[in-house]
Formats: sequence, C-alpha cells, structure tokens
Amino acid sequence: MSARIEAQSVSKRFGPVVALDALSLEIAPGEIFGLIGPNGAGKTTFIRILTGYRLASQGDVRVDGISVTTDRFRVQAKLGYACEQPKLYGDHTVDAFLRFMGQVRGLSGARLRAAIGLSVERMGLEPVRRRRISVLSKGFRQRVALAQALLHDPSLLVVDEPTVGLDPAQQIELRRIIAGFRGTHTVVLCTHQLHEAQMICDRVALLDRGRLAAIATAEQLRADGSLEALFLARVGQPIHSEGAA
Amino acid sequence: MIGRVVALARKELRQLFASPIAYVVGTAYVALTGIYFFQHLVSYNQLLFVYQSEGLTGGGFDQGTVPSQINVLNEVFVPSADDFGLFLLVVLPLVTMRVFAEERANGTDELLLTSGLRPWEVAFAKHGVTYLFVLLLLAASAIYPAVVVARAGLGFEHLFALYVGQLCYGCAIASIGLACSSFTSSQIVAAVIGYAIPFVMLDFAWLSNAVSEEVAGRLKEIALLSHYGTFPRGVIELSHVTYFASIVFLGWLASLTSLELGRAR
Amino acid sequence: MAFLPAAGLVMILVGVASYYATRSLHGLSAFSGANLGLGVLLVIAGAAAQLKSFRGFSGAASRRVALRALAILAAGFVGVIALNFWASHWTARVDLTADRLYTLSDQSRQICAELRGGAGAPIELVFFEDALLAKDVRLLVDAYAGDCPEVQIRDASRKEPPAGAREIYTSTATTVVACRGDVCDPVGYPSERNITSAILRLASARAPRVYFLVGHGEVDLASQADAGYSGLASLLRDQGFDVQAMVGPATGEMPSDADVVIAAAPERDLLPEELAILDRYLEGGGRLLALTEPGLRSNLYSDLLLRFGFALEDGVIVDEATSPLLKDPSPLNLLIHLFAPYSPVTRTLSRRTMVLMPTARPVALARKPQPDDRLERVAFASGRAWIVGDVAAALARRGLERPDAAPEVEPAVVATGSYPRGDVDPATETAEREARVVVIGDRDFASNHLLDALYNRDLLLNAVRWLASDEARLALTDKAWTPNQDPLTLQQTVAYFYFLAFALPEALLLLGIYAWWRQRA
Repeated sequence: MSARIEAQSVSKRFGPVVALDALSLEIAPGEIFGLIGPNGAGKTTFIRILTGYRLASQGDVRVDGISVTTDRFRVQAKLGYACEQPKLYGDHTVDAFLRFMGQVRGLSGARLRAAIGLSVERMGLEPVRRRRISVLSKGFRQRVALAQALLHDPSLLVVDEPTVGLDPAQQIELRRIIAGFRGTHTVVLCTHQLHEAQMICDRVALLDRGRLAAIATAEQLRADGSLEALFLARVGQPIHSEGAA
Repeated sequence: MIGRVVALARKELRQLFASPIAYVVGTAYVALTGIYFFQHLVSYNQLLFVYQSEGLTGGGFDQGTVPSQINVLNEVFVPSADDFGLFLLVVLPLVTMRVFAEERANGTDELLLTSGLRPWEVAFAKHGVTYLFVLLLLAASAIYPAVVVARAGLGFEHLFALYVGQLCYGCAIASIGLACSSFTSSQIVAAVIGYAIPFVMLDFAWLSNAVSEEVAGRLKEIALLSHYGTFPRGVIELSHVTYFASIVFLGWLASLTSLELGRAR
Repeated sequence: MAFLPAAGLVMILVGVASYYATRSLHGLSAFSGANLGLGVLLVIAGAAAQLKSFRGFSGAASRRVALRALAILAAGFVGVIALNFWASHWTARVDLTADRLYTLSDQSRQICAELRGGAGAPIELVFFEDALLAKDVRLLVDAYAGDCPEVQIRDASRKEPPAGAREIYTSTATTVVACRGDVCDPVGYPSERNITSAILRLASARAPRVYFLVGHGEVDLASQADAGYSGLASLLRDQGFDVQAMVGPATGEMPSDADVVIAAAPERDLLPEELAILDRYLEGGGRLLALTEPGLRSNLYSDLLLRFGFALEDGVIVDEATSPLLKDPSPLNLLIHLFAPYSPVTRTLSRRTMVLMPTARPVALARKPQPDDRLERVAFASGRAWIVGDVAAALARRGLERPDAAPEVEPAVVATGSYPRGDVDPATETAEREARVVVIGDRDFASNHLLDALYNRDLLLNAVRWLASDEARLALTDKAWTPNQDPLTLQQTVAYFYFLAFALPEALLLLGIYAWWRQRA
C-alpha cells in the first residue's frame, strides 16, 4: 500500500538563512512526485525533514497522518530512503550490507532472506552480490542504495538525485526501475535533471529560495511546453502564494 | 529493539576489525604491556637474587632475608598496573576517534538515523562494541601476567581484581573518547579532545600549586588515578566501580545528546 | 575561529604531558605552565566565538528537542555526582588478595567489638595521607573504617600532625598513629598486627602483669643479639602485657598482681624458699609458663614441675622428618606440625602453621597432683622422631642413629596442665580458682633469631594468653604476604617473553596487514 504525504507550512531556518519558507504540498498515494529546483532551493532540506533526519522550524510533514515531528520512527518504518551520493559502508559486501539494513528494519530469518533476494533481483545486483561496495561502480552503488531502501517494502520511497554521475545506460535503467514503482509505492524523487522529472513523474514541484514556485502535472507540462520553460519562467521571479495544481 | 542493536553492533565489529587501526592498536598495547611487565619482573628477580645471595645475608633460612615488602605484588603487579593504565590512555583515543566522527564525515549517520534506529540504540551499540574491544585488548595482554600469577601463588582472584580495574579504567577512557567523537566529524579533533580530557583528569596534580588545598582535595576525588589504585592491590571497592561506571554512563549520555542535538539543528 | 579551541586543547595536552614527564625534576615548569595557561585561554576564546556564531535552534520543536536533550544530560550529571557523593561513604569491597591482606582477622574484629560501650575517650587511628607507605596502607586503614566502627579514622597531613601525634610523628616515619585522647601510641610498621596491638594497648584498663623469673641463668631479656630475648619482652608489651622482671620473690610471697609468671629456662636450682613460693602461688590459682632446653638441670623441672605432673627427663628429640631450614641444619631441628586441635594453646596451629624449634627436650606427663587436674600433651614431633638421652653427644652430632625400637608415641614438646582449686560452685560446677601451667621443651624458638620464624610467636602468645585467661584473644598474626620466591626463573621469564610479548603482537600485526590488504584488494 502506498503512502499519502502532507506538508503543511513547513519552514526551516539556519540562523538568518531561510532554507524552507512555509512550504505546503500534498502527495497522493502511488504518485511519483518530483522535486526540482536550483542549488539551495531547499530540496534536500525538505527531504531531510520528511525522513526525520532534521526537525522543521515550523510546520509539519505527515505521512499517512503520522507526524514526522512527533512520531518519526513510525514514519521511518514506512519509508525507504536512498540519499544523494549514496552513503554506504564500503567495507561491507552488498549481501552483508543488505542483511545489516534488513536487520535494522526488523527483518530476520526467512523473511530477511526473501527480502534481500527480491531487492537484489529488482535492482539487478546478482552479479555483484558478493563484492565489496567500495569496489562497485557508481551505478551499482546507486542500485545498492535503492535496494536497501526497498528491503522492508516501504509505502514511501524517497530518492535523492539517483542518476547523478551515471552513464546514459545506467540512467535509463534506473529511471525504468523508478517508474516501475508507480501505483505500488509513493515516490518522492529529488532531481536536477528536468527531463528526467518530466519523463518519470506524475507531478513536479518547483522549489526556489525555499518556497514552492510551481506545481504541475505531467499533462500540464506537456501542454505548456516543457519543464524547462516552466523552470526558466519561475525561478528567480517573485514567488506567488499559489502552487498546487 | 534487541535485534537492531545486535545488528548494529555486528556492523561496528566488522568495521572495527576491517580496519588496520584495531590491529595496530592491539599490537602496540600488547607489546608495550609485555615489555614493561617483563622489565618489572626482571628487576624483581634481580632484587630477590641480591637479597638471597650468600654474600649479603649468609644464606639459608633467616627471617628478614627478604623483607616482606619485597614481593611480587609490590614490585611487579602494582608498578605494571600503573604502566598498563598509561598505555590504555595512549591507545584508546586512536580507536574511539573514528567511531562517530567517521559516520558523520561519510554521511552514513543519515542512513542510520533515517532507518528507524533510535539514537540511544546507535549510541549503545557503538559504545558497547568499543568496550568489547577494550575487553579483548585486556584479555590479550593478560596472558603474560597470568603465567606469572600461576607460578607466584598470587592468586588468579588478585589478577582478576587487577583486570577489573583496568576494564573499568579503559572503558571510562573509551567512553570519554566516544563522547568527543560524537560531537565532531573530524577524527583528528576527536582524538585531540579524547586525549586532552583524560590527561587533564588523571590526577589534577598539575593544578595543585594554583588552587587551595581544599579544592585540590575535591579535585583529587574526581581524578581518574584516585579511583584506580586499589584494583592492582587486589581490592575491588564498590565506590570506585561506581565512579568508573558513572563516567561510562555520562559518556554514553553525551553521545546520545549529541545525536539528538544534531537533529534539532 | 574554529581552530582556536583545537589549538587550545593541543596546548593543554602538551602542558599536562610535559608536567608529568618532568615533575620529578621541578614540578610545574614554566613551559608546562605557559602551555596550560595559554591553552585554557584559547579554549575559552574559541568557545566564546563559537557561542557568538551559534545560530541557535530555530523553531519551537527544535528548541524543545534540544532543551530536553540538554536537560537529560544535566540531570545525568547531577545524578552521577549525587550517586558518587553517596558512594564515597560506601565501604563495601571485595578483597581478592591471596591472603586477604586487607580484611581484618577475626581477632581484630573481636578486639574491636570488645571496645563497644567502653568508657573513656574513643580510640582514633590517625592516618598520614602523605606518608611514604600511605598508598599501601590506605586499604588496611579503610578495613578498620569498615569493620571496626568502634575505632575512628582521622586523615591527617605530615605538615600538620594532630597534637598528640606530633611528637611521635616527628621521631618516626610513621604512617599510622593510634590515639586515645592525648595519649598516642606509635604503631610502628603499619601492619594489622601492629595497629590492632596499639588499639589493644590503648584500650586495656589494666594491662595483665607478667613476671619473668631472673637470677637463675634464665634468658637475657635485655639482649638484642640473635641469641637474646629482647624480642620476647617487646612482643608481650606490644600485646598489651606489662612485663616485669622478678629477681626471685624478695618479699616472701609472689606479688599479688602477678597474672602470669614465666620461668624462661633457668639453668640453676631455685632456692627452696623460691620453690615454696612458686608452689603456693600455683596452688592459689597462679599461672606459670616454663621454658626448658635439652641439657638444663634445675629443681624447677625435677621438683616443682614434676609435682604438677610434668616429667622432664633430660634428653633431646631427634626427628628424621625435619626440613633444613636453619643455616646449619641438623636432625635436631624440629618442625612441629602436630598439635592438639582443641587445646586453647594450639588450636590456631596446624600442619600449615608450623613451629620451628632448633632443639627440644621431650615433655612427658607424670602423675597429676589431684584427680580432677587435667594434663595434656598439645604439640608433638613427627612420628619419625625419637629421644636421645646423651644430650652433649647429640648436640655434637654423635649417636644420632635411629634406634631399632621406635618410640610408641610421638614425643611431645609442649604440655599443659589445669588445676582446679578451692571450693566448687554447685551452680556452675567450676572451682573457685584454677591454676594453669604450660611447659615448652625449647627456649630458642622464642629468641630474637627465631621468634618471628613461622608461627613461633603464635605458640608463645597463645600460651601466655591462656595463662592470663585471655584465650579469646588468640595471637594476632600478620597476614602472610605473597611468598618471596621467584615467580619464574630468569630463563623462563625470557622464554615466556619471546613467546608472548613478541609472538602475540607479531600475530596481531600480521592479522592487521592481512585486513589492510583485503581492504585494498
């Protein structure tokens, strides 16, 4: 079952710096939702608040009605997170790492073995299963990151810049995998690749200077021309309060 | 909950022993303790030889041939225990400096803290594995003294008391180092602070000229060495065990606080 | 500005390390002090700069989480401080030394318990924390604090010793002084024996008086030579006895305050009047310790002691089972390890707590004066001992061959006698008074040379205490320190060293190299 996400006036300040400014949005279950924006727009900050790694200064994010601020562990049980430039334990083999993450997620015994098998199969990691993560290519590391995020079959998948540094073939493959989650998982995809967001996502939110500059569905994007046009039109402009499509 | 902690502890153990640091530290400690123990033992043998030689005392049975103060306890084990404590102080910050700081520097703390692990579980597992390492270190270094104890009739109970003291002392130093590591992403900074605090707390003798006697007395009550000295003599005092357990607890609490504060930033 | 605290910490570290490295030469040097001072300043400056640039915890939720975490940490600190303050008063401990060196013996505890409710100023142990032996003795003094609450412990400094202890302290390198009001007792070497003895001396309302017979060739109590017996007198004084020499009872009667009379191996006959006085003294419930020696002849042995049931035929005991413990060992040296287990004089002695007698005269039993009298042999040579009648030849190592007919019983070297005298109380069935005699067939075991050997002093003290009706306070014995023996020979030490102190680190290093290689590969 996929998750519903509601962000209500989420703000985050680091001293005088406003990283997020009253961001509100809703993500429907089963949706692949893209987050785009220039550097420093607040995408990663929002992701970190959503995953419970950081606290919002104001506002709250709810996943299936559960507040991340007050009940983050229940939210984390529902989500799988593959961070930007995957943070993995290089001295572990792929198998050992997935086993560790599965145990951390509360899996054990036959369930764990089955979950690892499924993740490995889904991410095409069989050829490298026994190899140490530090010797894997970037593409495979991204897959390992995704594989660990999927172990416990989360209803929400948060993926941050999954295709950065990958070669075209790897990018195509990874996009295909992510697109395959539509309907079964809610996916929040944070990316710099505009065309990628346009290809995969059902809806895209454009963030600029911590605020929601625009939200558009795939159809609207096709109708309006391209996400690039929207980006150029909205980024750097005064931000209006309307956002959701 | 237990499964998560155990999984994390195993991960920590794997990482610890995948790195050469653990082996280098273990080698250094075992070698240093062995060499210094050997030196004390040789000195003791020579002292006995001098007392028992014909030229000095006339040989044979004579009370006072070897004064009762000259014995394995005073001449070998107590000085060795002082040395062992110093070596622990030197090697342990090298082990603790990476425990939290490396995770933070690599960003893998984000992986851990977004996968349902409670901060206290993270702190508990990391501390626990480090204390286990201290125990392994001490176990490796105990072989030589154990051989001597078996011959000298000192009693393994006495050796046990000595090593309980070293375990308490080592865990306290490790705990301080872990707390320092949890507040920074730089292993070097963690090591420097991890050295500075225990050295400062050793016995505060360096402050004795600058403060009144009463203050010096109070400081002595919280100094590390004030609570360590009875263990090598074969006595385990509950108050001293409580002291070291308190430092271990505070170190764990400080690590936990650091993780919570990180989220609140 | 982030480098400031780091630099400061490095300077503090260097300052402290250099202090410890050189403090035996000149305490806190200028270099160490400068590093410490500057380091502290840099840390404070760096912390202030960090605080100034601290952006704070933005938002109510962040502040709440941060404050809760800090509050828990602060509570932890306070709790730990409180716990340790409380714990500092705990005396619970486990003494795991091989000989329980830091646990008070039953005798010490009993003596302490007897102080309870006593009149007069409390007894205080003044412990000099900065004395040379303080570290070693602290644990023992703490044992008194824990197990002997009737005695108070006071920590003091050499620089300002308390009034009563001042004079004593300045004349000795003492670690512990026992005081009662203004009266202080120098403990001497701070062992449990000496400390408890000092307590005993201060606690005794009236010290039992022990008279030594002199003037008949008895042992020289003033001589400090190896063959002298000054140690015997000192020992008894240490144990709370008032020791006096009695040159044959001059007044015609034994002094009325004579609790115990010791006849330490007279070599000549006593005057008839002296024998009569001793006889009346014993019949009146007196107490006598008689030491003898092979070859001595005196009417004390042939008349008085015979009348009281002790047959002291001249002779010397030869024992094949002896061990060569003396410088010039011979089969005349006896290692006494067979004792009557229920006699108050020997019940603390056993096969593991032996007595060494260089030569001993057999002590046999004769007819007891009255039917109700009790005579008992309480210490014996081994089953392989026999008696040689020609003492002079035996001492010259002649005629020591084992006879064909072995003695039926082991020769005794110590015997005791109890003689109830006067009317018997029907309620308690005890006599009005009871005389006691202990006869020991050797005097040299109590000489300066051998008094502290093995458990010789225990035998002597047990005998005197029993005679003084103080048998509950059996001999206080110092705990045996760990044996003074080579734990390993030098060759073994070197062999173990190469095997353990090099091989084990080498193995660890090789493992480390393998781990490093695996990581690289």
